[in-house]
Amino acid sequence: MTMDPEQFKENLLVYGSNVHEWPEDIRQAGLKALEISSELRALLAEEERFERVLETRWYEEPSRDLAERIVSASQPKKKKVWPRLVGFFSELVWEFSLPKPALTAVSVSLVFVLILGFVIGFSNPIGSVSTEGTQTDLQEFLYYEGEVL
Amino acid sequence: MGFSHLDDESLIQQIQQGSHGAFAAMVNRHSNRFYRIAYRLVFNKGDAEDMVQEAFLRLWARPQLWNPGKQAKFTTWFYKVVINLCLDLNKKKKPLDLPEDIEFADRKPGQDALLGIHQEQTLVDGFIKELPERQQLALSLCFYEGLSNKEAAEILGVKVKALQSLIMRAKTTLKEKVKRHLGGGSI
Repeated sequence: MTMDPEQFKENLLVYGSNVHEWPEDIRQAGLKALEISSELRALLAEEERFERVLETRWYEEPSRDLAERIVSASQPKKKKVWPRLVGFFSELVWEFSLPKPALTAVSVSLVFVLILGFVIGFSNPIGSVSTEGTQTDLQEFLYYEGEVL
Repeated sequence: MGFSHLDDESLIQQIQQGSHGAFAAMVNRHSNRFYRIAYRLVFNKGDAEDMVQEAFLRLWARPQLWNPGKQAKFTTWFYKVVINLCLDLNKKKKPLDLPEDIEFADRKPGQDALLGIHQEQTLVDGFIKELPERQQLALSLCFYEGLSNKEAAEILGVKVKALQSLIMRAKTTLKEKVKRHLGGGSI
């Protein structure tokens, strides 16, 4: 199989200047054409120079931690403390979940205890303070002229 | 259990079952490869890294998008994901004009050579940016990434002949521009 200069030129553009890496079905024909034609050898040399120019194209290497950064960005972010607390309590309630009548009884008892607490708190005479007595004591303290111990 | 011995398709199946270890293995294996193509398309390190990160995070969020029945190879499919993100970003960005010439304020010995290399890099970059999008993609995948014509055609969703035509047009245009701007001696 032979390869004319036009075909060779096209293949040079498509597959590049390394004829040994051309597809198998055209490689031998390409090498043979190169062997017998100085014109094609000149074309090949020109292609090699052109590819060297293309290879000078500017390129910056990626950051060393690129992969690490991507992996850490894909990890789920830590949840805030508040939702975790809410979750904890809801799990707790779920754990000790009671049947509906029992839950109602517990709720009513808790409300009753709360009301009882308020009633006792506001009606206890021991807790009330005499304003008069306090004022007298304060005056005695402020105007005490006796010996200081 | 280690994941390094698993191929990409097995890894993605593990990811689909929620394995974060498999995902980490996939990222470690491929992040640099996909960064390279992203960089060739967005021309900026920060943007390229962001695009690769975004693509992998999407994979982690919705791994079911990769369908083994439809896609033959994971990398072929993931190239498409990264490329689409990069093209979307390019559409949002305003085009940047390259400087006509670069001047160093205080030239020192050896800087002329450096200037020459830098100018050449800038020019080549500029010429490639001027190519139509699909030609840029074909060139990046085949010449810079070394993918086969068949795989590159699959990524771009075109026939192999159409891909080859894109490469030929891209290289022919670039050759002419390089000859014109950098002189015949360069090539």
